[in-house]
Formats: sequence, structure tokens, C-alpha cells
Amino acid sequence: MTVSANYDAIAKCNKCGFCHVACPIFRATGHESGVARGRLALLRGIIENRVQWNEEMEDPLFTCLGCGACTTNCFGAVPTADLVLEARAEYLDKVGKKPAHRLLFEHLLPYPKRLHAAAKAVALGKNSGASKVANALGLLRIFGRDLPKAEGIVEKLPMSSFRGTIKPGVYPGKGKDLRVGYFVGCGVDVIQVTAGKASFEALKETSKSVTVLENCCCGLPPWSYGDVDNTRKLAAKNMKIFSENDLDVVVTDCSSCASFLKKYAKIFKDDTALDPAGQKNMPKFQDMVEFLSGKSDTKEGDRESQDVGSYYDPHSAGLGEQVASRGENSPVIITYHDPCHAVRGQGVKSESREILKAMKGVEFREMPEADWCCGGAGSYALTHYDLSQKVLDRKIKNLKKTEADILVTSCPACMIQLSYGIRRHGLNTKVFHISEIVEHAKDTAEV
Amino acid sequence: MITETFVQKMEEIVGASYVRKTGADLELYSYDASLVTGRPGLIVFPATTEEVSKVLKAAHDHGVPSVARGFATNLSGGTIISDGGLVISLSRFDEILGIYPESRYAVVQTGVTNLELQDALSPLGLFYAPDPASQKVSTIGGNVGENSGGPRCLKYGVTSNHILGMQMVMADGEVVEIGGPAFDPPGYDVRGLVVGSEGCVGIVTEITVRITPKTESVITMLAVYDAISDAAKTVSEIISTGIVPNTLEMMDNTIIQAVEKGGPCGYPTDAAAVLIIEVEGVAVGLKEQAEKIREICMATGCRDVKTAKNQAERDLLWKGRRGAFGAICNLSPNYLVNDGCVLRTKLPEALERVKAISDQYGCPVGNVFHAGDGNLHPLLMFDSRNEAEVEQVHKAGWDIMAVCAELGGTISGEHGIGHEKQDAMSMVFSGHDLNTQQNVKLALDPSDLMNPGKIIPLPPEGSDRLPDQEPTILKRPGGKDATGVSEAIEAIKQAKNENRAIRLAGSGSYNGMGNALTAEPVSINSLQMKEIIEYDTENQFITVGAGMSLMELQEKLAENNQWLPIRPPFCKPESTTGGIVAMAAVGPERSSYGAPRDMLLGLQYIDSNGQMVSTGGKVVKNVAGYDMTRLLTGSAGTLGLITEASWKIATRPEACQLASAVGSLEACATVAAEVIASNLLPNSVTAVQQNGDWQLMVGFEGIAGVVSYQIEQCLGLMSKAGLKDGAHRDYPVVEGCFTEIYATLEQQPFVAQSEVALGKVSQAYQKIEKICSPEAALIDFGCGRIFASFSSLDTTQWDNMNNVFSGAQGHGKLLKSTDDFRKGNDVYGLKKSEWQLTHMIKSALDPEGVFSPGALPGRA
Repeated sequence: MTVSANYDAIAKCNKCGFCHVACPIFRATGHESGVARGRLALLRGIIENRVQWNEEMEDPLFTCLGCGACTTNCFGAVPTADLVLEARAEYLDKVGKKPAHRLLFEHLLPYPKRLHAAAKAVALGKNSGASKVANALGLLRIFGRDLPKAEGIVEKLPMSSFRGTIKPGVYPGKGKDLRVGYFVGCGVDVIQVTAGKASFEALKETSKSVTVLENCCCGLPPWSYGDVDNTRKLAAKNMKIFSENDLDVVVTDCSSCASFLKKYAKIFKDDTALDPAGQKNMPKFQDMVEFLSGKSDTKEGDRESQDVGSYYDPHSAGLGEQVASRGENSPVIITYHDPCHAVRGQGVKSESREILKAMKGVEFREMPEADWCCGGAGSYALTHYDLSQKVLDRKIKNLKKTEADILVTSCPACMIQLSYGIRRHGLNTKVFHISEIVEHAKDTAEV
Repeated sequence: MITETFVQKMEEIVGASYVRKTGADLELYSYDASLVTGRPGLIVFPATTEEVSKVLKAAHDHGVPSVARGFATNLSGGTIISDGGLVISLSRFDEILGIYPESRYAVVQTGVTNLELQDALSPLGLFYAPDPASQKVSTIGGNVGENSGGPRCLKYGVTSNHILGMQMVMADGEVVEIGGPAFDPPGYDVRGLVVGSEGCVGIVTEITVRITPKTESVITMLAVYDAISDAAKTVSEIISTGIVPNTLEMMDNTIIQAVEKGGPCGYPTDAAAVLIIEVEGVAVGLKEQAEKIREICMATGCRDVKTAKNQAERDLLWKGRRGAFGAICNLSPNYLVNDGCVLRTKLPEALERVKAISDQYGCPVGNVFHAGDGNLHPLLMFDSRNEAEVEQVHKAGWDIMAVCAELGGTISGEHGIGHEKQDAMSMVFSGHDLNTQQNVKLALDPSDLMNPGKIIPLPPEGSDRLPDQEPTILKRPGGKDATGVSEAIEAIKQAKNENRAIRLAGSGSYNGMGNALTAEPVSINSLQMKEIIEYDTENQFITVGAGMSLMELQEKLAENNQWLPIRPPFCKPESTTGGIVAMAAVGPERSSYGAPRDMLLGLQYIDSNGQMVSTGGKVVKNVAGYDMTRLLTGSAGTLGLITEASWKIATRPEACQLASAVGSLEACATVAAEVIASNLLPNSVTAVQQNGDWQLMVGFEGIAGVVSYQIEQCLGLMSKAGLKDGAHRDYPVVEGCFTEIYATLEQQPFVAQSEVALGKVSQAYQKIEKICSPEAALIDFGCGRIFASFSSLDTTQWDNMNNVFSGAQGHGKLLKSTDDFRKGNDVYGLKKSEWQLTHMIKSALDPEGVFSPGALPGRA
């Protein structure tokens, strides 16, 4: 799809400017290149021959977080993030593709085992200071000039991946009928392993069986770089896995993966080999948050929702003293960050609040601008470190206003970014995946 | 010219990363929300006023024209600069610098959005009244530049009514502070001029805005119509009953369709039109008001009235209205929006003619507009990729402006003239009016580098002036044909020929004000100009000759249960309305009804060449050109002889009552602060001395039931705070309740008036007492004002007093003083740097200094 093919969609922007207020990048830079109206104006300029394909287009195209906030704020709902993403492909074709992207997309992401090995090498390097190993692997080189600054973002990498511990396969659950496939996103697999384990436990709670899938990357990273071919290859591998296993629903605890899996149908609608609607035996896709809240349109009535009305003991999060210092029986203050791919990508927002508010001993405080992008945006924090930190600063400023003990979210990339911001600003807030919170509460209930 | 050297200079000032000039950058700064485009040569992003100052100084030295830009949601091409000029982006000025609830003001940087300010004020129980539909994204700086309106301005007025001061960088880089937290600074109303000047006289970097307590209760209704003309009838009918809703917003079927297509907001898609009607105030009596409105709606052909049950429903109704412009893209890629105003009663005719124009040029039209203000927003739809459509839509837009001018209105009510409407200025102003406006701009920007080539039509090739022609469409009755005007013109010309100074006057009741003149003047007065030129009871305005006394005017208006809500202090039965304009005289009711600057719709005056100049018009919203009306208001006869004024008038209040009680000044001040911060809506909050103590007086006016409820509440507050002798009484509508104290004040040879920050008025008074004990005083808590009279006053005392005023963020002037005192002192007190702007304007409009030489603040 070329930019010209999107002329109508691009021309729908009548320059009202309402996107300015919603765009985290514009609010950080104040430059028109960093807002939907500006990005669309340049694309239109290209079509109308006022603007040329050259390096000047890199920033306007690649500083977009893809958070979609502009579209939500746009009465014409111009899908700027999608349009920009498609334009990235043309940019990479015409102005040049960085070979390092290819390394990641073609040689690493399709193969979970290679990814594990690479992560382990990085973990060794990072945790021991021998980052040469990582560099040698080239994994991180793709992130370009900002990498040296960004190296501190991930605090510590686990030595073993999730699927290194819990091998792909079928595991029995406590539920009646529901057959769940657990789609292990790359971030959970190699970084947020604890969250993955909590999700796995939660899934078993209400399912007949949980299949830890041998899936590869969902395809979002290459898609974000406009690399359709590699996206297609990844999706094809995953679709095969979905149809081979006998599943009612595929759940993932990464909201980015969840939103992208749900997008397969739209992206590949003209591709009979890939369109999920045309596949036999295809399960539905669900975000872990939806699963936990019991809001499922899959085999309705087959499972009871998780018992989330239990008491939340702050000790399970290592926050016992911090909470107790505010007085006896003080509730733990929890707030929530909406990942872009949950709130706008899937329209999932109220479910998380329902889960958290139902817990006893919890005071839920809504964070201002809870649905603003944190600036993590996948690997964005690594490629555009300074900009990403400006976006993050705004998020942390809002977090401070809540005085929360715990910040909950449902996307591993957001978790990394938010934890980094909290460390950098010296806050006491802890970041957890919502599955972890549910597990904490369950632990307490069993005591 | 932008040279390499200039670019380097910019990089030195703001840092290289804040200077942009690639092809992509220039494309990105070549548009705003209008249809106008033009490529700049360079974009800079300064972060501080100091940087803006350096940038402008350098631009001045290099002869580079520039334009300031916020988020560029401008709808008239005002932020576009062509031919390689400089764009100064103010997006980094995004901080709210301070909120001062006790003095009811806030200070913000220019790039803060309107909604960010609202969000910061809301938890404090306050709001900033102007609320342009684009408030989510338009900046306060942009609002100031355009004098933005918004739905709520039906009740609260436009941006200009709520701007107290600003920090502005002049074309040569000089930074001036204009106004401040206190009301009505001496000198010309420069902040009034800057508001709506579309970035053509300077760059505003910080703004002091007036903030208002939220009301206790609000009711939002959606009235649904099968015929748009019925909706228009409802609007007229509501206003004429004397109810002033916050908003009377209309949307036609096309807009309803566009909005609902973008996301359901609860408008019935089969309706021909809907009105969003919102009333607010104290809870008591509000339901009755809403019910009354509902009855009026149903009696004028309304299908159904729905009331929003909660905040969520209210928000949804407003979301649709505020997003209506953007929603057009659901029907058509582009729109051209006009924002002309017509007299409210002409709305049905205007809409019919807009429809005819839309048919004629084949551009579909949708209407969403501020019906209560007669402010149209026809959105003409087209596709900017189709050149023929672009041409047709421009023609249609032009014709719609002509219709507005023909129906007695104006070409722009709130979006500004910019580039898109500048040629249409000739529809409503004469060549001389426009040349005069351009003179004012050039007075402040002599090299014409600030957003040049905007607002005023460009002169014909080879000339720097516009030809002297009458407005091509708008007919202004009165003018030089009105009684007494031609004689005054002759008298002025003659005096000028004789090289005489001229003192312009009315009945002479304010003659002793201002500084001593430096030449013996001849007096030329307006007393013959007593005509009622136009009185429109339904549209609630009156145009009268400047020589008509306020009393006569009020008598005339009383015949229709109307009045001019102003009770100037020291007003005599013979005091003329022209004098009130010239002196901007206003009493404590200013805090609720506003000052003359808020009530004047337009003026005509004779300038120093003996030529007539028209300003403004007769519709309540008007941003066509520089705000000459405000510039003349309070100019004290130094710019020209005002011959007639068009006033916004109101329905008389049912009841006027005063609650009073006695206590110490501190106790009175505490209660006053409480009343002001409460949900009550007092018209005046004052105190006068009484037997060594002070009497606190709080006036309420309006619907009888609401007034008596508030009196009761107020007396409760007074007694709870320990004030004694609580009582209440009625007072007459026209005279008000201060005539006695004014008479007492006037008995002394010296009468001072001072405005300070609201929260500092009683402290300031106590300091004044120590400097020179007043014989009588009126402390006006609502306006932050002190009137005090003295039996004697010397230079040291006056200087010390002025230091007190400055210390309380205000200023003072002597309304009355002895000739001796005036010879040696400036009656406006300590020199302020902003007065240089007053003198620059004076020199441009009266270059020979014929009118009252020496009278202005900052005498040599």
C-alpha cells in the first residue's frame, strides 16, 4: 500500500488541530512534525508533490508512538497511526532500510529459541556488566544512536525465560470445559517472567486446560516498521499453531500482542491463507484483563470469573511497612495505567478497574490521563530515548498525583518503561502486571 | 530577509535544535485550520520572554517579518506568513504560572490551552469564562489574539471582558507589562486593543486572566425542532423575557448528521434543528427559570425539550457541539467557516439567504452557531483537491459576509479577520476608518514587521493608504448627518486652523479630571448631539448621540422596562453618555454588569483631522478589525470627540436589594471575601465608614425570589461573622445605592480612586489611612477599588499612596484635585512603562496634539 493509495483517508484531515492536545509527542516537542495533523500534511504534501521522500521524513514518520490517541480525539477518526505505519514501509523502501531491523525481524523474532538464547546472552552481559556479548550478538545494535543512553531502561533480565521454565505443552486446569491457549509474548517470555507465571496460574484457575503455545512474535514489531513481509511470515507461523491446537480461546497477558492478534483479521482480510475468518478451528483472541474480569464471549457460562473480591495484603507486594506507616488498616493505594493497545487497540478499559475495585483493602485511585501513552511503545524508548523520556515524565508527574503504592498495567513494554521512570524519579511505587495482583490476592485468600 | 547570518543569530538565541528550516518543516508551518497557506522561511521555538525579545530584536534589525503561532487552530489564516517570513512558535510557553483565588486572577503563559486552564481552576471551584468551542486545543494566547468567544459568552462576554493584563514583546524587542490584576489601569485601554489584534502589534508571552467562581447549579437542556425558524423564534423570545442563559447554541440537521456519524451524542437525527440551552446560578429559582424556558420553547413550535440528567449527559451534549467543526469531515473533506454576526431577530432571514448562497455555488452548508449572539457559523463543504470547488466556496463565503453586513451585522464575530476576510473589511468600514486602524498598528509597530499584511485590506498598488470611501455594504445611521455633528466638525477644523488646543466636553461634569493641560484650550462639546439614532428593543441595543444625558437615556429605556446597567460615580443629572464613554466611568456594579468597555458595541467620533471615524457596530460580538471602541473608551477626550455610541442594554431587574451590617473593617473584609467566594451572585460588595465602624453593603439584583433568597443567605453570613445591625432594604434601579456616599466624597477638594488586586483592598486602605486620613471612603471589595476623599494632599503623601497602590498590584488616580496640585503632580501617580504605548497611539492619531495636550498619564 503506497501513500498515494491512502489519499482519501489522508485528505479527510481538515486541519482542525484537535489532535494537538492528545498527542504525547506533540506535547513533548511542540513541533508540528510530531502531531497527526502535521504527519498527514506531509503525506499529503508527498502526494501533491510539495514534499519529497528523503531523510527529512524520518522524524515525522518514526517519532509517532502509534498510540492512536489522535484518532480517538478526531471526529473524522482519521487512522493516523495506521497511515503513518504504512508510509514507513514506503519510506524504508525509498529512502533506505536499516539492515539491523532485518536481523531482528527475520532471524530472531520468528524463532523463540533464538530469542531465548539472545536474551540469555544479553542477561549475562547486562547482569554481569559484560555487555560486549550482547553487542556481539547485534541484538541491540538496531536501536541506533540512543542505545547507550537507553541501556539502563531494563533493570535486570531474568536468567531463564518463561518458556525455559514452563515448557510449551498442555497443562490441566481447575475449570470445567474451557480450553485456553496461552500466547506467550516476547516481552513476557524473556523479561516479565514473573508476570507470565502469575498469568499461567490464573488461567489454570478457571480452565479445563491451558496450552502454553510455542508461538513466535505476534508480528507487531515488524508491522510498526512497515515491514509487511516479515509480519506476514510471523502471523502465518502463529496461525498454524492456533489451528493445530484444539482451543476455545487464545489469551495473552501482553495487551500489545492481544490487540495485534485481534487485528490479524483486518490486516489479512484479502489474504485467504491468513484471514482468521477463513481458517478452520480458529479460537478467539482475548486480552488477559478481559479473561480475568470474566467478560468473555467464549463459551459463556462455562467458567466462573476469578475470585477477585478477596482481600489484598500489601505484604505480598513487599509493601506491608509502607502501607502500615499510614496507620492501621490503611488500604493499599492502587492506580492503573491503560496500555495504548488495550484502551484504544481493543477498547478494554473498565475491566481492569472492576477487578481492582472489587478487592478489599484496596483504594483505587484513577490516575489523571491514565490512558496517555507512557512512551514505551515497544522499542520506541530505545530508538528515541530523549523523546520517550519526555513522554514518560508526564506520566510520572500524573502518577505522583495519585500517591499510589502500586501501579498496575497489562503490557510488558509499559511495565519496563514505567519502572524505569519510577526509578529515575526516585518514587516508592511498585509496578505489577494485573495477573500478579490477582495472584497476590489469591495467595492471601488461601492463607 | 532571512540570511545565513540571521539563522545563526537565531541559533545563538534559542539553540540550534529550536531553529527549523528543512523543506518538511516549512511545509508543516505553511497552514493553520483555515484555507490559507503560505510558506515561511524559518521557524523558531523560543522558551522564555527574554528569548522572544531577542528574537524580535534581531528580526527588527534584519527587517524580517514574523508571526507568532500557538497551536494554529486559527480559522482566518492569521498565523500564516508567506514570502519567507519567520514563524515564532510559542508551544513551549505551556505553564500556568499562578492562580490567585482570593484576588480572582490567574497568570498563564501564552501557550497554555484554554481547557488546561479550566482543568486547573475547576478543583478550586473557579472557571475562566471564555470557552471557545476549540478550547481543548486553542491556547489562551490565541484566544487573546482573536478575542475568542464561545458558547458561554452569551452570559459572560468574550475574551476581552476577562483579560486583565499581559506581558508583551514589542516589534523592537522591548518587553512591556500591560495592566495587571487590578481593574482599569490609567491610560488608554491598551490591553483592550491588544486583545483581538491578531498578533499584529506585539507578541504576548504571559497573560493575566480574570477568574470567576463556579455557580451553584446548572441545567442543560436540548430543545428539538422540526423547523429551524421556530428555533430562532425561541431564541428571541427567551432573551426578551430578561432571562440570560449561559448558552443558546443552535445546530441544524446537517451538523447533527455529521456529529452523530462521528459518535452518538444524543441528538435526534431527524430534527431540523436543536438548541442547547444552559442556565446557571444559585439553585433557588433555577428550576423555575428552566421551566419558563421550556414553556417558551413549546410555545414557539419546539417538538421536545430534554434535560440532561447528569454531568455525563451534559458532557455528551457539549462534546457534539464542541466537535461540530471537525465532524464535518464525516460529510466532506473540507469546510470553509464564516463567523459573521447579524442582529438576533434577523437570524431566520440570514439562514435562508445562506441556504440560497449554498445552492447558488453548489457548496452544501451546515449551520452550527451561537444563536443567542446572532453569531452564524455556516460551514461550507468542499474538497480542497478540487480547484473549481475551492473557487466556488470562496465566492460563497464572500457573499455570506455581505449578507451579514447587509443585515446590520459584522463579517466576523470571533474567528478574526486574518488574511481570509481582510478584503471584506471594506464592507463594514470606510477607507478612513481602516486607515485609522492601520495607524494604530503602525504606532506600535512602525516597521510593520508584526504579522504584516493582515486585518486591514492592502492599499492599491503604489499607495500606502486606502482610498477614502464609505463602507461598501453596511449602512451606519447617524454619523456626520446626526444633529450637531457637522457643527462640531467645523469647530474642530477651525480651532485647528487657529492652532488652538481643544478640550472636548459634554456637560462638563468630568472637566476637572486628568492632568493639567499644557495650553489654554477652546472647549468643543457634544451637547447638541441628543438624538436617539436607533433603538432596537428586541435586539437590545440603542444608539444615541453623545450629548444625551444618561438620565434621559434611562427614562427612554424605562418605557420598555429596559435600562443601561451602569451607575457611574459622581454622575450628575446633566452628565452625558458621551462623557461616560470618555471617562469610562463606572461604579461598584462593575464586578457584575461590567464597565462601559463591556457595554459599548460601537462608536463614532470626530478625529483630529475633523473626519468621522466609526468603530465597532451594533452586534454583541464583533472582532472585525482592531478594537477601536475600547481604545476610545476612557480616552478622556484626547483622541477625538465622541458623537454617538451604541450600547448593549438589558431588561430591568425585578428587584434591587441591599443587605447591610456593621463591624470593624477587618470583619467587613472577611465577610466580603466570604460572600465573593460563595455561590451567591452579588452585584456589589462595598463598605463605608459609619460612626467609627464600617458598614458592609452587599447588593443583589434580578429575579425577586432569587434576590430575597440571596439577601437572606448574605445576612446569615454577616451575623455568623459577628457583624451587627443586619438589615436590608430596596434601592432604585437607576440611581443605585451609592449616591449619598458619592456626594459626601465630592465635598472634599481631593478625591482619589484606586484599583488594586481584589484580595488586597482592605490592607491597601489601611496603609492609605496612615499616610493621609481620608474624610470619607468607599471600599469596593467586588472591584478591588477604593474611593477616598481628603481635605488636603501633598506630593509626598500622593507619592506614598501610589507606592501603596503599586505594592497592592494596582494603581491610583485623582478624580478631583486643586489646580495648584495638578500643576506640580501627575494625577495618575507613578510613571508606568506601559504609558509609552498610550503616548505612541496618541501621537499617531493626534499628531499635532490638539486634543487636551498634557492630560494623559505620564506628563512630561
